Amino acid sequence: MSDSPVTTHDPNADDKPAEASPQEQKKMEQAYAQMKRKISMEEIGKQIKHKVMVLSGKGGVGKSTVSTGLALSLAQQGLSVGILDIDITGPNIPKMMGLDGQRLHVESGRIHPAQGHLGVKVISMAFLLDSEDTPVVWRGPIKLGAIQQFIGDVEWGNLDYLIIDFPPGTSDEPLTVAQSLPDIDGMVIVTTPQEVALLDSRKSITFSESLKVPVLGVVENMSGYTISGKATPGSEIEIAAPAGKTLKATADDEGNFSVTLDIFKKGGGRLTAEEFGVPFLGALPFDPGFVRGGDDGVHRIVSDPEGPSAIAFAAIVSALQEQIVEDAGDGLEII
Amino acid sequence: MKSFDGDEMTDKMPKMTRIERRELDVLVSYDGGSEFDITYDDLRYACPCAKCSPLRNADEGCETLRKQVEALPKEKPKVRIVGNYALGFEWTQGCSSGIFRFERIWDLANRRDPDNGKLYVHGAW
Repeated sequence: MSDSPVTTHDPNADDKPAEASPQEQKKMEQAYAQMKRKISMEEIGKQIKHKVMVLSGKGGVGKSTVSTGLALSLAQQGLSVGILDIDITGPNIPKMMGLDGQRLHVESGRIHPAQGHLGVKVISMAFLLDSEDTPVVWRGPIKLGAIQQFIGDVEWGNLDYLIIDFPPGTSDEPLTVAQSLPDIDGMVIVTTPQEVALLDSRKSITFSESLKVPVLGVVENMSGYTISGKATPGSEIEIAAPAGKTLKATADDEGNFSVTLDIFKKGGGRLTAEEFGVPFLGALPFDPGFVRGGDDGVHRIVSDPEGPSAIAFAAIVSALQEQIVEDAGDGLEII
Repeated sequence: MKSFDGDEMTDKMPKMTRIERRELDVLVSYDGGSEFDITYDDLRYACPCAKCSPLRNADEGCETLRKQVEALPKEKPKVRIVGNYALGFEWTQGCSSGIFRFERIWDLANRRDPDNGKLYVHGAW
């Protein structure tokens, strides 16, 4: 081959294009798949009316419980709902939705979500693991690819709401989703009233600004534990509460009484919301039934649809819907 | 410390019906035909976000915030409805983080301190 930068056409030369090497072919296939996925993600964005991200700054605040609760409560209203469990290293939504051990159905290269209680569609890394004890140890780029696949290659169908559950913290998962899925309505921040959780949830609120995703509101979980009981009608009951406090209640005419213990303080979620000028969606009581329900695969909303937790979730969902309802201005003219 | 005057809020807030963005202020109309103007400077000064609010706690901060606001270009903001309870104002420069509850706008319209004299405290729990 000549060293000259100028090339000339040789009429006798074979004009067939040179065949791509296997490596080049692989790269082209990857680029094609990526492009197809991008188009698909945009299409999916149109099929899903509302997309809500659920985040928390700190782990263990009940974020997955809130995600499943929001999804089930919306589904209770007759809406078509899906949950995307983005917590790749610790996926537990399937267990909470009674889908433990299920496998995903793949047809014509498209992944079909599993369906849990009340017809809620679920996609989670847990479906792809051989055992729930198998850890997923992936670096960023692989995680990113998996998330994009979970968005672009899934046959969600038409959904009213997609609830996206994230691992705790401000890592790259929310960033990937925010960049991949168009028209995200916003994020819900889950916190408990304890100070460290509130500090971390403030980070999540600030994080939303860098993602350009609005905060739909803050949910305070484990907000108080209500003890109910029976006593002599009209009698006064004293209960030893944390921090040396004594709570008093008076039994009603039928002898019923109830007292709420603020185990992790109370009201911090509301104050954090006010501090950042974001809506406070509501508080969820501390309910041991959530733990049992999560382990048994029957969410509290399903097992006790009229109970205090289901009622609290309905109120939160109602507040959430107020934030994202299309014509919320109700006749307000802006010129 | 706060640079608002006016009476304590005692009246019932009517429904906001119209927002007209003018050159230097916004004209807010309510059910019943009442109309109020709020200058863009006053609106920006009353931003309820966690960055602007603490500045209003002390005289020095108030002055700083007022100067910062007044130095910004006089521009019409984009207005977005937040849920059914508030408005957000988006400016090309300066802070756009605050969500203005309708009550807050009503207070501003009536020349009242929207914080009702309360100092802003980080981590008040």
